[in-house]
Amino acid sequence: MNFVTVSIVSLGAKLTGWFAVGYALFAFLGKAAMLLMHPGTWNRATFDVVVKQIYFTSVQILHVFLAYALVISWLIVSIILSTARDFGLSEFATEMTIRVLVLELLPFLTALFIALRSGSAINTEVALMQVNNELDALDHCKVPPMQFEFMPRLVGGVISVITLAGLAGLLALLVAYVTIYGVSHAGFEPFTLTIARIFDFQIVAGLLLKCVLFGLAVTLIPVVAGLETPKKFFMVPVSVLRGMMRVFFAIIAIEVVSLALKYI
Amino acid sequence: MARVSPDLPLRANLSALDNIALIPLYQGHFNATESGRQALMLLEQLGHADIALLRDPDMTPAQRFATKLARALILHRPRLVIDRPGAMLYDVPYPEFIRQLADRVEHSVVWEIHDFVWNQALYTSLSSSQP
Repeated sequence: MNFVTVSIVSLGAKLTGWFAVGYALFAFLGKAAMLLMHPGTWNRATFDVVVKQIYFTSVQILHVFLAYALVISWLIVSIILSTARDFGLSEFATEMTIRVLVLELLPFLTALFIALRSGSAINTEVALMQVNNELDALDHCKVPPMQFEFMPRLVGGVISVITLAGLAGLLALLVAYVTIYGVSHAGFEPFTLTIARIFDFQIVAGLLLKCVLFGLAVTLIPVVAGLETPKKFFMVPVSVLRGMMRVFFAIIAIEVVSLALKYI
Repeated sequence: MARVSPDLPLRANLSALDNIALIPLYQGHFNATESGRQALMLLEQLGHADIALLRDPDMTPAQRFATKLARALILHRPRLVIDRPGAMLYDVPYPEFIRQLADRVEHSVVWEIHDFVWNQALYTSLSSSQP
């Protein structure tokens, strides 16, 4: 009986904790959204910080990311093509490539890539700022931390995920075309017809929304996790660990919900 | 009130100039060039223009203090409070150092130093050595 009571209390505490984390995330997102819509926010200083964030998150790693997308695309397209041929389903290879690679795998891998590179750095930086009292110092100087530090990271992350996923998708389409039809114009018409048939308004809107949610997941969750850090240096790695696990589960959840809505 | 305190650190990944320029940028709504110019002018006035591009981990305690002081002064508040200077200036004789910095800037701001009572002798010896 005692074990049952303890288990129920423990489960209740965990659920309350998850609810508190979820509430903190959505409250922070709400504040950021309000600031985003305020016309006074968009001064030259904020714009410069957003541009800097986009540069560090996506432009700086563009060559590495595109190489990684090229290799993944070529591998997956080759596997799909080979499997389709083995089962006599070659005419579906293009459609399968687009649905698996461009609509699902590449946005997911882009989000993971940015989460590991930028999300962990954001989490660590915000946690250190919290522990070091740098945020209190900014508050004292009436430099709003939300406008100067956090909102540009959110905006930069969302724009970076959308841009990198889009570029990876275009690269994947190019690789798919060359792998299936070779370097010739012969397959251009059927290939573009397949793309036009798949990419209707609903699919494009869904893909864009998924990328926006991925972008928010890889920036918002690390920022909030960093802000929760107690003012002790040894808690910084714990904060980063928690933040990155939450990012991972959020990305998985977004992908699962997206797949469920599309195919179930 | 503007504070210079060990509890209000500089932004670690910004240079001294950028830390100071944040204030005119976000409060005065000046552009980046003008904010940088105002910040550099203040550092020159304090005699520490050479630290403009240094970041916090690369500064000496005296340089860090000068940057925090410039950041507080550029807020243009009527009162400046220096909180526990001994905790920030452990590499220089600080009452004299603060006096030298104060002499370099305009006197429309009221400066207050809050320090531990056992350091009172440092200020007493300073005032007795002044003409």
